[in-house]
Amino acid sequence: MNWTRLKRREVLSTILIAVAVAITSLTTSSVRDGVAIGVMVAVAIIGIATLTANGLRATHPVLARAALTVVVLDVSLFATYFFSAITNFNLAIGAAMSIVLLGLSFLTGASGQISLGNGAFMGVGALIMGMWANHHTSTPIFITLLIAVAGGAFVGLLLGLPATRLRGPYLAGMTLAFAVAFTAIVNSFSSWTGADAGLQLPTAVTPPHWLSDFFSSQTTLLTVNSMWLADITILVTGVAFFFMANLFASRTGRTMRLIRDNDVAAELVGISLPRARVIAFMVSSAYAALGGALWTLINNSVSPSTYSLALSITILSLVVIGGIGTISGALIGGVIYAYSTNVISWFTAHTGINPQGNLANQLPGIIFGGLLIVTMLFAPMGIVGALRRLWSKRRARTAG
Amino acid sequence: MDPFLTSRIVSDILTGLTNGVIYGLLALSLVLVWRSTRILNFAQGAMPMLATYVGMVVFAHQLSYWTLVIVSIVAGFAIGGVTERVLVRHLYGKPEINPIVVMVGFLIVLEGVAAAIWSTTPRGTPSPFSPIDWQLNGRPIALSAFSVYEIVTALVVMIGVAALFRFTKLGLQLRASALAPEVSRLLGVRVSRMLTFGWILSTGVGTICTVLVASNFFTGLTPQVMDGIFAFGFIAAAVGGLDSPVGAIVSGVAIGIILQFVGDYVNSNAIMITALIILIISLMVRPNGLFTKSTARRV
Repeated sequence: MNWTRLKRREVLSTILIAVAVAITSLTTSSVRDGVAIGVMVAVAIIGIATLTANGLRATHPVLARAALTVVVLDVSLFATYFFSAITNFNLAIGAAMSIVLLGLSFLTGASGQISLGNGAFMGVGALIMGMWANHHTSTPIFITLLIAVAGGAFVGLLLGLPATRLRGPYLAGMTLAFAVAFTAIVNSFSSWTGADAGLQLPTAVTPPHWLSDFFSSQTTLLTVNSMWLADITILVTGVAFFFMANLFASRTGRTMRLIRDNDVAAELVGISLPRARVIAFMVSSAYAALGGALWTLINNSVSPSTYSLALSITILSLVVIGGIGTISGALIGGVIYAYSTNVISWFTAHTGINPQGNLANQLPGIIFGGLLIVTMLFAPMGIVGALRRLWSKRRARTAG
Repeated sequence: MDPFLTSRIVSDILTGLTNGVIYGLLALSLVLVWRSTRILNFAQGAMPMLATYVGMVVFAHQLSYWTLVIVSIVAGFAIGGVTERVLVRHLYGKPEINPIVVMVGFLIVLEGVAAAIWSTTPRGTPSPFSPIDWQLNGRPIALSAFSVYEIVTALVVMIGVAALFRFTKLGLQLRASALAPEVSRLLGVRVSRMLTFGWILSTGVGTICTVLVASNFFTGLTPQVMDGIFAFGFIAAAVGGLDSPVGAIVSGVAIGIILQFVGDYVNSNAIMITALIILIISLMVRPNGLFTKSTARRV
């Protein structure tokens, strides 16, 4: 057993080094790029080495998760260097969406509550990001993102207070009412939010100096180069996923799952239901706000009409399709979202549907809704659940 | 002449009443589904919307308004029954988020299909009643032949549903199978058929509500016309208690009137915000609704 582990590790690192050397020698135009690639490869190798170390997952789960996050982040950041601008843009949009999905996945999968308002919570984060960036141009973007998250958590707290006593259907209806009311709320504070027209980010939003120095890009403006955006979004996504993976496995996560499975038993062992429910709701809305704030950053503007009830329902669909309560399900959902527009337009182009017609306009809604129903009826745990079931079946067959 | 009837307050009350009976009707249809199958039907606005479009297709052939109404209601019955048999039947006994998710999916599929076939431009349905307000000494009262038609129809439906539940054998069976399915089955009630009938009835009530909305000169029918009304209807049903038909109607009317005052004295943005605040406060104070007796939840 030791031998196979060691062998696998050696093979992996050899391949990685070979690939890295090849790419470096083929593509680098400057020493700085070469160094950057070298650092990335080194990090990947160290990460993989840590990850494959014997028994690490059992003895130091947090370290194992950190190593996994670092490796995935490293490879993704490395990849953005080679992607086209449009791919990077899609990647950034999808990565930000996967944060939102993760938040809802936690709320539904861990604590058993459901929200139809996460699109509106995204809007809260997006608008706070836009407002703050307009009024305080000197704040570093990471701080602005944190402020947006705090704002989202606060709104989540306000709406989550009744959630302490509510059960599924009531909470779903209440969050739906919030999603419907979101436009009215935005319009009521039109001097801050810009009402329907939305907000434009001032071009002064720049990446931190150390980052722009490191990349030696032609421009220091954050919003011009989509690689920056993709990198920053991926970085934030990585941190968000790492945090959530630990939360799922922590005492809080176990508490939530107990509440989901049997709230009476949870109360009997001394868990405060209201507190746990509000926390779950706040975490979910904070994650949604973070995703929305990143969207503002990526698009360089906020348009409140994006954050409609339809978006909330799309978020719910993606979580269900990916797999409720799973971390990989949120990632899959994000990828699906990033490429759904492309796939659907490819589909309309190849089936001869008029791309400007009614059907083509409604196709995303019909497809997502249909997938939502089919998934819930036939594979309630989504893609990840179906894969896991296949995997365990195969293992059972090979073992027996 | 006493200007009381044309004063601002009375106008607001009358307009609010007209809106409120619409919310009350939708809330009633939500309550009917909830009582029979314990499902909050998020497609409760979309299913009648589709039925009304079916009625519109017939109406396009120059038949009378009443043909439209009857065809829509029959289509509503059919959609309700088929949905229960094909879709909802698989959801009984599942975790409570499953039906919510499926009905939300059904909602966007229906809205998408309707918009794909009939586009999103509003379709007017000229009703036989004038929407122009009556005059009193040259000043308008906030009542027209059309709004009286709305209120009277809603009252008739509400009384009809109440009579059905209270005085007929069918109503007794419906109540019995909602309260104690096992016992009812032993006593010879066809419970499964009663569940289907609950959905048929509720979609029928929803369709009458949608037809009234669609016949309104100022709104017309669009695939998403019921979204906002669903939100208000849900708020009314939740405030009144999802188990209480009377609560649904009373709070529907009350919310209609309150929101009309808010819209008139504050502004139109405040309407939806006020509705949300009413919902949040009422759910915090009485999570099971103002009109239901508190009961211990079964474990």
